[in-house]
Amino acid sequence: MANRRPAETVMHLSRLGSLHQCRLSFMRQLTRRMAREHWTFSRGVFDINDAGVGHAVYTAQGPDHAYSLVAFSHDLPPEMRSDRVIATAWDATFTLFDGVPTEDDIARLEKNIPLQEAGRVTQSELSVSRANRSVRLWDHFVERLSQGHQPDIEKVEAVGYLMRTTAVYGSGKLGAADREIIANRPEMHAPFQAEMLSVFLTRWFVRDLVNHMAKARGGEKAVPLTSDIAGRLGIGNSTGLGMAPYIINHPVLFNNWMAAREEAIARVRSVAKADDDKIAEFKSVLARSLKSIERWTSEHPIQIDKLAALSQDMDHLQSHLSNTDLSDPTPWGSLMVWAAGALSEEGQELLASLILEPYGELVDDLGATMADETPDAFIIDGTMPVGNVRALIEDTFGWALSLDWSEEQNCAGAWYVSEEKLEPRLGNRFEEPIADFEQPLAPARDAAAAHHDLSQWASEAEVSTFLAKHPEHRHTIRRAQISNRVPYSEIRSNTIAADMLPIDMLRAKLSFFGATHFDPRSDRWVRICMYSGAPYPSELTSANADMWVYPEVTA
Amino acid sequence: MSFSLNEVEAMAKRAARGAGHTWGQAEEASKATRWLCAQGVDGVSVLAEVLKHGPSQGCPLGLGVALSDEAAALVEGPKQLGRVRQPEMVLPFAAMAARQLGKVVQLSCDTAKATTDGCALLVTGTLPDDVENLTISVVTADLHGATHATRAIPSTEAWSFLSELAHLTYAPATEESRRLGAGAGLSDND
Repeated sequence: MANRRPAETVMHLSRLGSLHQCRLSFMRQLTRRMAREHWTFSRGVFDINDAGVGHAVYTAQGPDHAYSLVAFSHDLPPEMRSDRVIATAWDATFTLFDGVPTEDDIARLEKNIPLQEAGRVTQSELSVSRANRSVRLWDHFVERLSQGHQPDIEKVEAVGYLMRTTAVYGSGKLGAADREIIANRPEMHAPFQAEMLSVFLTRWFVRDLVNHMAKARGGEKAVPLTSDIAGRLGIGNSTGLGMAPYIINHPVLFNNWMAAREEAIARVRSVAKADDDKIAEFKSVLARSLKSIERWTSEHPIQIDKLAALSQDMDHLQSHLSNTDLSDPTPWGSLMVWAAGALSEEGQELLASLILEPYGELVDDLGATMADETPDAFIIDGTMPVGNVRALIEDTFGWALSLDWSEEQNCAGAWYVSEEKLEPRLGNRFEEPIADFEQPLAPARDAAAAHHDLSQWASEAEVSTFLAKHPEHRHTIRRAQISNRVPYSEIRSNTIAADMLPIDMLRAKLSFFGATHFDPRSDRWVRICMYSGAPYPSELTSANADMWVYPEVTA
Repeated sequence: MSFSLNEVEAMAKRAARGAGHTWGQAEEASKATRWLCAQGVDGVSVLAEVLKHGPSQGCPLGLGVALSDEAAALVEGPKQLGRVRQPEMVLPFAAMAARQLGKVVQLSCDTAKATTDGCALLVTGTLPDDVENLTISVVTADLHGATHATRAIPSTEAWSFLSELAHLTYAPATEESRRLGAGAGLSDND
């Protein structure tokens, strides 16, 4: 094991909120695998009328299993279109079916998938999702194509997608198959592969639908979207607070993601000498990444500032590289040391992701370590001495022990589940009557409280005796013991501070999906783009399966 | 209606919390309920009966958690749990003890024996709703051929009862929470 960056450096929310996609991202793991294994793709059904209403079925055939996206397309009145989880109707709704659906399956799904949360699915379904059109772009596309013209490329760049998903539910939600049912299939072993596949196929459906609608409007005059513009389009996604607690609620899983990326960074940092082709590859991917940053826009003041800093970082990096010989010993290690003192966290984390790119053979195996295969990490070891538990808490949450947890700035936030949508929300405990409904999503505060009570006990006492007296600390003791097994399980920031930014938690998770162009729409929800630049299923080859995330640079 | 085991787990956690258990115990109750369902037992009904009584004396959740926490002591000799309500709910914790020890653990009372290696479960006789004394011991036995259910088909009544308890953990919506809670911010329809 190479020398990884310590958790106290990596696990702050501000840094987690600056993470970028990398080779290990779940989308790229999926496209690499599908190309390597020569998956085939087919459109079995496209039964959609001129008003855009109907259904379609797209099947991905792997070595042992087939997976089908069943898409339902709707004619949604504009006033009903909302990305919020409170919406009850969408432009399109989807499920990823395990296998190839029969007509009976379709009939059953047609009664349930358009209802989303109000419907039920079965063990044959692996995900349930929905998407709305980008009003700005959709009408423009249909109008232009119907008249025989291609859409305006500047408009494409400004938005990046024709449809954005507003939720992709997997892992047993709404009655779908539990992850355990598919986790042993090699292609579904890495996290979120079913969800990523569903979005990959959704992008294909969206291209077909916009071409279909243009043809319906323009008839003979209409032209299909060029593959160049189609390639630029991703699938947007709006993600809100519902996803934020995930990385707290799955400490081992989130550790595995972070540990895989940190191990990859450490391996590349310790490369003794960089071959010329690796240096060239790094410089090429850096240039392509700059292009991607140019296309990254946001209206949110926080992200505007971060993008300005990132742009400066890239200037610094380029001028530093012009004075640096990457054929010197351990060039990537030196570069990262320089970056830690010279760049913002956005810039440092982008660079960390970029140095991995030339070294697939060194790091790609880590993708297989990102699932959580240790369910028994949940079990508390009651024989652990109280003194050891205290030390574990001090290791992870030492900084939290001296905070005044009654101060408003330190504890204003309270996570709760709303009666209305059964979704996580974040409120202010001093302004709303929510404290009684608080979810256990403040590990630092709870650790400080447990530490206080543990201090009244003899160090050599077994923690089982402590827990018999203090069952209210049970979840905290469990987390402390998990932190003893895995280093990156805990966020080292206060998740209920008055100034905490939930978008940082969202970005941490979404970066591992492989999302780009994070665009916060408030401090609590964010838009992203998925698969922009990727080949469509029928075009997928080993040559284009991986580096699509970086735009091509023309000389 | 059939539910995924993840749905069972999520519901059980909220219901146990709604019934007044601590978060840590609620987490344990949810894993335990899932384990029972995977064994083909209607864990939802078992949990519903347990939660009707709240965290009181003879509560199998409290006893079960302690059994798992003190699993190491089982190798020194059998443990008497005394009176236990819904002793089926102790089974998942015996299974956790078995997995920690790498041994087979048995629950016994006058009318039944239940044996588990943590993965498979063999029950002979009938576990009553309320036992005067439940004995836990490490035994030597060969359990094989564990088959696990991947869905739960709980009694509708029990599921509804858990839903009612879970409901107690949800904050009533207010205008302020609608406005602020999810952070509307910039337009979401463009």
